[in-house]
Amino acid sequence: MNTKLIVHLRAHRKRARLTQAELASAVGVSRKTINTIENGVFTPSTILALTLAEELECSVHDLFELPNDPD
Amino acid sequence: MSVNPVSRARLFGSAAIVIATSAAIIAAFLSVGPSGLIWAAIIGSIAIGYAILSFILHPRYPDAADAAWDEQNSQAHRDSIVFGYWAVLAMFLVFLTLSLTSRIDPAVAFYWLGPVLGAVPPAHYLFSIARGRAE
Repeated sequence: MNTKLIVHLRAHRKRARLTQAELASAVGVSRKTINTIENGVFTPSTILALTLAEELECSVHDLFELPNDPD
Repeated sequence: MSVNPVSRARLFGSAAIVIATSAAIIAAFLSVGPSGLIWAAIIGSIAIGYAILSFILHPRYPDAADAAWDEQNSQAHRDSIVFGYWAVLAMFLVFLTLSLTSRIDPAVAFYWLGPVLGAVPPAHYLFSIARGRAE
């Protein structure tokens, strides 16, 4: 499976008024990892996706979307 | 460049190992500089120095260590180890062929597997950093 995710992380991060470094520090990853997730270069694990969603007080579906997701 | 002290130490450690190994290989081909044993000691000292620095930094900056070994960096590290394995296997087959056809002394071939084993994974990791896939 080689599906490229549609990522809304950047929008939610900015809505939470967090920098990449601040979000990275909050969830325990490097700033580069947040950067590559936002750019669709790196697909996070389920655990990291859930952690990001929890930190940004939204659902994983708000952060990530499949290209053909009807929602 | 990352502000994370563990990531920074890993970057400089990897770069130092790759530079020293490359210098040793170039010097050997040009037949200049110190003996292979001296080069081995230099490369080994750098690697051990990096290991000691890493050993000190990890408990001193636990949060930074967690971030430095997050899932993306761990994946890049795993990829570098896998690439290093295949590089050594490929070099082994090349050296085996050269040894069997008497084009290289088996002892020399065995000696040169060391630099490949030691320098290719950090070189691959540096490449991942340059591509923006690790830090």
